[in-house]
Amino acid sequence: MNGQSVTPPERRRTILVTGGTGTLGRALVTRFAAGDAAVVVLTRGQTSAGVLPVCPSVTRLRGDVRVGGSLGVTRAERAELTATVTDVVHCAAETTFNRPLDEARTANVEGTRAILEFARDCPRLERVACFSTVYVAGRATGCFGECDIGGEDGFVNSYEQSKAEMEAVVRDAMPDLPIALYRLSTIIGDSRTGCVSGFNAVHHALRLLYQGLAPMVPGRAGTLVDLIPVDFAADASYMLLTHAFQPGRTYHLCSGTTRSATLGGLLDATMAAFERHRPAWRKRSIARPALVELDTYELFVRSVEEAGNQVLLQATRAVQAFAYQLAYAKVFDARHTESALAPYGIDVPPVLDYYERVVRWCVETNWGAPS
Amino acid sequence: MSDVGIDAVTYWLPDAAPTLDELERRGALGSAAGTLAGFGFRQARVASSESHVDMALYAARDLLGETDTSPEEIDLVLYAGALTSSTTMECGPAPAGSVLQLRDLMDFFKYPVSRLQSELDLTNAAVAGVDQQGCAAIFSAVRMARATLIAEPDVRTVLCVSADRLPHGSSREVVYNLVSDGACALLMRRGPARNRVIAMHQVTKGAFWDAGSLENEIIAAYFPTARTVIEETLRKAGVALEAIDWVIPHNVSLRSWEILLGLIGCPREKLYSDNIGRIGHTIAADNFINLRDATDAGVIRKGDLLLLFTFGYGLNWSCMVLEH
Repeated sequence: MNGQSVTPPERRRTILVTGGTGTLGRALVTRFAAGDAAVVVLTRGQTSAGVLPVCPSVTRLRGDVRVGGSLGVTRAERAELTATVTDVVHCAAETTFNRPLDEARTANVEGTRAILEFARDCPRLERVACFSTVYVAGRATGCFGECDIGGEDGFVNSYEQSKAEMEAVVRDAMPDLPIALYRLSTIIGDSRTGCVSGFNAVHHALRLLYQGLAPMVPGRAGTLVDLIPVDFAADASYMLLTHAFQPGRTYHLCSGTTRSATLGGLLDATMAAFERHRPAWRKRSIARPALVELDTYELFVRSVEEAGNQVLLQATRAVQAFAYQLAYAKVFDARHTESALAPYGIDVPPVLDYYERVVRWCVETNWGAPS
Repeated sequence: MSDVGIDAVTYWLPDAAPTLDELERRGALGSAAGTLAGFGFRQARVASSESHVDMALYAARDLLGETDTSPEEIDLVLYAGALTSSTTMECGPAPAGSVLQLRDLMDFFKYPVSRLQSELDLTNAAVAGVDQQGCAAIFSAVRMARATLIAEPDVRTVLCVSADRLPHGSSREVVYNLVSDGACALLMRRGPARNRVIAMHQVTKGAFWDAGSLENEIIAAYFPTARTVIEETLRKAGVALEAIDWVIPHNVSLRSWEILLGLIGCPREKLYSDNIGRIGHTIAADNFINLRDATDAGVIRKGDLLLLFTFGYGLNWSCMVLEH
């Protein structure tokens, strides 16, 4: 374990974090590190080691949930971990929307099965937090509640399906383990700075809009788009885990009915932010993408595929990964989560309050490209 | 609202109509023939010895003949050309590989519209060229003709002509569209018997002037701006989309029309699409070839509201609403 012992003092909490180098994971590790817990971050490689806080209470352990209950660590490391871990925070996931289903399942379903198998071996275990997505709702429309399971109408992509299957594994384990499930909405950046620490389909779609390669988006102007900032996601999940943990519960960390933006409003805000922060962009006369019914969008995608235009093909697939969900209008009910967070003063900000900062950050950093 | 309209339409197309397979064998397509067939094309019309000026003359002569209009009645000729070569005279037999054969500086001052006036004896007509708007050029000619007929009482009859042909041996495909050679001629008057122009609207986005390097961006820009332009034209006309009886298209791919109809929420049945496969995209003459054929076929009836939309490089989106 990089020469450092993970053995903590007798009564100290030890938190095992998977996916600790991801967007939410690293924000959580930073918060855990500020307390007195020992934090062990299970990571797959060296490459992202630099994103973790340099702090004596944080150690990095090379491993991989995809290899099974061994977590890909040595027997000695596993034994030491099982003896000490009090909390398991499982953020690791394959979040690319359009991976082949088998690959998504390996990471999201089997990876979760593995971490739960490990958790069962931890005698000091008190809390397991499993992170999922509100989009396990799949193609459902209407209001999707914290107690709803989702998937009855199918899924838009392999990510959603594998996460729904992952949740089934988690629910099966709830009678035996102290598990809470946290469903996240789409994280787009920091509400204060606009900084994006992990790019996802929304940011790719933004870039295509900027480049003028996104002629249309499926959905209607009034469709609500649920997005959350990473600081809210981290603050809320940290507080729910450390101060208000309730095993067996499912939480929705989302902007819900009152804080979401409409699709039309979001497109307007995007175009306005491009013009404001890149005045030269206005000269390019790029049109606001048209909002269309799904069948029209699919006809366009099919035409691009038949024409074999690789640039537009990649662009439509990138938009498709995010935007298909918009054709299935829904809102996420988060009343239970809001009640749980209220005593701590944690409230999700309205999307349009910080959205421009995120767009500005993307534009000014050229989507995080090295300068 | 003005009482100006398109009283009569004629067109001229070359006889040669090679199929997609033949064009593919000649290396005249960028995409596979099957792909273009899937987009609604079957054959192109390809001129042989006829120049664009010849085609314009044939269409205009037919127009005067059919309408029994004497040459002296024409007060203004507007000659629309989409290709830059269409606004320049051919100064000799076109050699293989080129539609132009300019020999000296003075060749640049020989104008197709002047020759048209001369050949047709339009002795009372002033003339002007309308160009640099790609396939939307004839729409601009109609717009200028209408404005002139409204503004100048002594102008009573305007002849609008559009004629384009691709250079010999060139590819027949432009951005997944099959391009034909052809010409149309329109007679515009106050108090027309049909095709009163109710409203017109045009949007130009010069940022896309370098069409060759911005193909993908142009394809992406086409649809949302097309919708905006159509909606704005309907707003100007004070007409709801539901009131439109027929959409008279430019003959770009049927697939792209299906997508655009989806965008604007117009039923596919309202599109007059018979000529897309049969004729292909004649650059600027499509809408009026289709208007004439739909009229002759009895598809459109007196009083029908027609929506004509076209798009040209430059980039230009143009739309008009006519009352047939």
